[in-house]
Amino acid sequence: MTGYLIRRIGQAIIVVIGVILLTFLFTQIIPGGAARAALGQRATPSAIYRFNIENHYNVSVFQQFWIYIWNVLHGNLGQSFRQNQSVRSLIESKLPKTLVLVGLSTIFALIVAVPLGILQVIRRNKPVDYILTGVSFVGYSMPAFLLGQLLILWLAIDLHIFESAAPQGDTVWQILSDPRGWILPVFSLSAITIAGFSRYMRSSMMEQLTEDYIRTARAKGAGPSRVLFRHALRNALIPIITLLGLSLPAIVGGAIITETVFNYPGMGLLTTNAATQNDVQLLVGTTLVAAVATVIGNLVADLLYAVVDPRVRYS
Amino acid sequence: MESIGWGKRRTRRLGILGAAALVVLTLAACGGGSSSNTTTNGGGTKVSGGTAHWAEAPQATPNYIFPFASFSYFSVANLTQFQELMFRPLYWFGQGQTPNLNESLSIANLPSYSNGGKTVKVTLKPYKWSNGEQVTPQDVIFWLNMMKVEKTIWAGYVPGTIPDDITSITTSGKTLTFQLSSNANSNWFTYNELSQITPMPMAWNLTGSGQVATCGTASFSSITTTTTKDSKGNDVLTPVSPEAKSCAAVYTYLDSQAKKISGYATSPLWSVVDGPWKLSNMDTSGNVTFVPNTKYSGPIKPTLSKFVELPYTSDNAEFNALAGNQVDLGYLPTQDIQSPATSSGSGPCDIKPGANNPRLSGYNIVPVFGWSINYFPYNFQSTGNGGQAGKIFSQLYFRQAFQTLVNQPLYIKKIDKGYGVPTYGPVPVCPNNKFATTTEESNPYAYNQQKAVNLLKSNGWDVKPGGTTTCADATKCGVPAGTPLSFDLQYAGGTTAIDQLMQGEKSSWAQAGIQVNLKSSTFDTVIGTATPCTATGSTPCGWELENWGGGWIFAPDYYPSGEDLFQTGASSNGGSYSNPQSDNLIKQTTQGNADLAAFENYVAKDLPVVWQPNALGVAEISKKLQGVGPPNPLLTLNPENWYFTK
Repeated sequence: MTGYLIRRIGQAIIVVIGVILLTFLFTQIIPGGAARAALGQRATPSAIYRFNIENHYNVSVFQQFWIYIWNVLHGNLGQSFRQNQSVRSLIESKLPKTLVLVGLSTIFALIVAVPLGILQVIRRNKPVDYILTGVSFVGYSMPAFLLGQLLILWLAIDLHIFESAAPQGDTVWQILSDPRGWILPVFSLSAITIAGFSRYMRSSMMEQLTEDYIRTARAKGAGPSRVLFRHALRNALIPIITLLGLSLPAIVGGAIITETVFNYPGMGLLTTNAATQNDVQLLVGTTLVAAVATVIGNLVADLLYAVVDPRVRYS
Repeated sequence: MESIGWGKRRTRRLGILGAAALVVLTLAACGGGSSSNTTTNGGGTKVSGGTAHWAEAPQATPNYIFPFASFSYFSVANLTQFQELMFRPLYWFGQGQTPNLNESLSIANLPSYSNGGKTVKVTLKPYKWSNGEQVTPQDVIFWLNMMKVEKTIWAGYVPGTIPDDITSITTSGKTLTFQLSSNANSNWFTYNELSQITPMPMAWNLTGSGQVATCGTASFSSITTTTTKDSKGNDVLTPVSPEAKSCAAVYTYLDSQAKKISGYATSPLWSVVDGPWKLSNMDTSGNVTFVPNTKYSGPIKPTLSKFVELPYTSDNAEFNALAGNQVDLGYLPTQDIQSPATSSGSGPCDIKPGANNPRLSGYNIVPVFGWSINYFPYNFQSTGNGGQAGKIFSQLYFRQAFQTLVNQPLYIKKIDKGYGVPTYGPVPVCPNNKFATTTEESNPYAYNQQKAVNLLKSNGWDVKPGGTTTCADATKCGVPAGTPLSFDLQYAGGTTAIDQLMQGEKSSWAQAGIQVNLKSSTFDTVIGTATPCTATGSTPCGWELENWGGGWIFAPDYYPSGEDLFQTGASSNGGSYSNPQSDNLIKQTTQGNADLAAFENYVAKDLPVVWQPNALGVAEISKKLQGVGPPNPLLTLNPENWYFTK
């Protein structure tokens, strides 16, 4: 296991460096260069020259890359010239917001989706199954901005039950202490995730119930509940673990549409704006965070396979 | 300056105080309200105190407090809607719906000019900083000393103008006397040069905490620099005298302090203000709270107890806040306008708002004119279209045909829902102002498809409406026979209005066989591309037409004399337009005694750019909030005038 871990971490580092290098290369083709992007159209050649000198844009891209890696190793992710803040502080202020929003919605989605999927299997081809399947399809196909906006107009503006905007605090505590603010965006985001998760759960459970080991368990006298929860569920969760592993980048990367509709500037909006505003340092910084989250998510998923499935061992 | 305000579109940097968006203003009556000293007013009982909430434009949060902004921070959000609430510029511009100099709100009396415009006298009014010190002529010199050393940083700098054209400054009591190196047009010098100055307090004359510098107290003449050239021919400015080096160190220190956004409200530097407001809280997300500066020396003291600026991620989020009565002054996104504005027919500036959105019954709807023009440039140096694009753009007849196919009134009516004004030349036609001429206002190139076709035919083109027009007679066309009229136009997409406008214009140009290939991109990509270039060796100058969707807002160069945009070699002359006659006319408006008329009429007809309709912002003002008045075309905020009624 230790050897496997070391191998995977080594691979992860290579992947992250590769992603950063690629991002760096792509930023070289920004029209007008990083200086023009930071200083705007009115910038004079002298101002651009000075900016390039001060920020090492006058050296080769590979030198810039190594300077960046060196700075990253020292905790310096660079400066966003559009936002007048360090990239690190920007990420530190937006990441908690996103963790709360996407993390809570993922947990909520799991809590609802797994039992829903099981219920559909138990009531397979019965009215409950058909109704839940229909609701899932509606939820899955519902555009996030539409659902969010409808919820705001109805529950916030017309009925005044919730706030139309998510909490504006920067810390996890400030956000969580305002449930009237966060319930709607969390529900809005999880409604779509629930639909997907429950469909995966249903099909996975149905697949497990056709396996030989289930027939064997029943032949040995195991009751329906024991078959379902002790034998089938554990194996049926494996695809969900894969989904969860793949969700980690999203949990860190943010949910751009929900953030936009609910006035909740998190990592999704930060990354999108960095891309549209050619904010080079910020774009590379958020890409770095997403890359790290992706490799960690995959690694964690692989390790969890071993926990839930005794057949999987990394030796 | 980059303008984002009152919710419309994005214009360029401060010359572009501006956004694919005009902006957003919003404030509200949340009752943070405190005491209640009451007086009567025509609209109800005036309430003393209360908190007004104003909506910032999406992605336009203030993030730089030092009133010596580099290009990155030279924006409406930072200057007019943030810094100037605390740090008053020498001269205040904007009076009602005009861009005129507002003497009452200026901290100096009107300047006087003598010696043929080479001597300028400015006398300060008895203003005080919040730390009790007087605002003195030396505070003005402090800013100019800084500019002399860091002029390549200051985004308002144009080579050859302030401070380069000031040979000496003397002071006597409250009066500064500037000696200039050449004659200056008084309007131009006041509106475009003195307009840039913001006096700085001696509390900022530091190179570190407690380390007093010499820059602030030095004379203007003691600041000496040298300019050398780098290997690429760029100017490199180096401070020489100890005082100049001190100014560089002060700038470095103040700029570093301006990077600590969360610490603005508690900073001993930024708490020294001469404006009506001072910060009480600010975070990095753009939530800003101002409280009155009780020692403000100006004519109108704040009535509100707090003024709050709120950030929004999108138009939708801002509209939801309006619908929920969470802001007192905001903007109505174009997509939420339900009843178009109408015109009474007395001119393009006479716009009567339609009925308000039914969800906003607690608000009054008000059109917001900007002191701006909208256009996009031709690249006269373009090597596109087989190397012929630049040569085609250089033909006046082609530009006339191209402009004649732009039906501005129609686009304003259909796309902007009536909330728009046309651009017919280099001076804004609206709001009604003393600079626009009747020639420009009459639209020299009104929409006329047949006229455009005839222009092309008479100049040797084989016009194929709906197809691709090609040159049939090289001697008349000015380009080789067979050259097609086919161009690439990259524009800053993402909003329905500009997408519709571009598609509409593409169809219109196609009626004369001019093929325009549209490409939607981001605002920053467009402005990064639309820069002056010249093809050299294997390096092409490929772009042909670039539209960032907003044009130009005149601030702090309030006098639309064109030297920033249309003079040969100007840094914001993205398309490299060059015309000796135009240059000469511009010079007469800046250094001679000419008014704008000759320059304006010439450039309006010579078409250095493609004039475009200029969408207006639409403000929503809470019915409980009074004193806002008609929004200022420079998008400045004066919440010291505002008060709530009950």
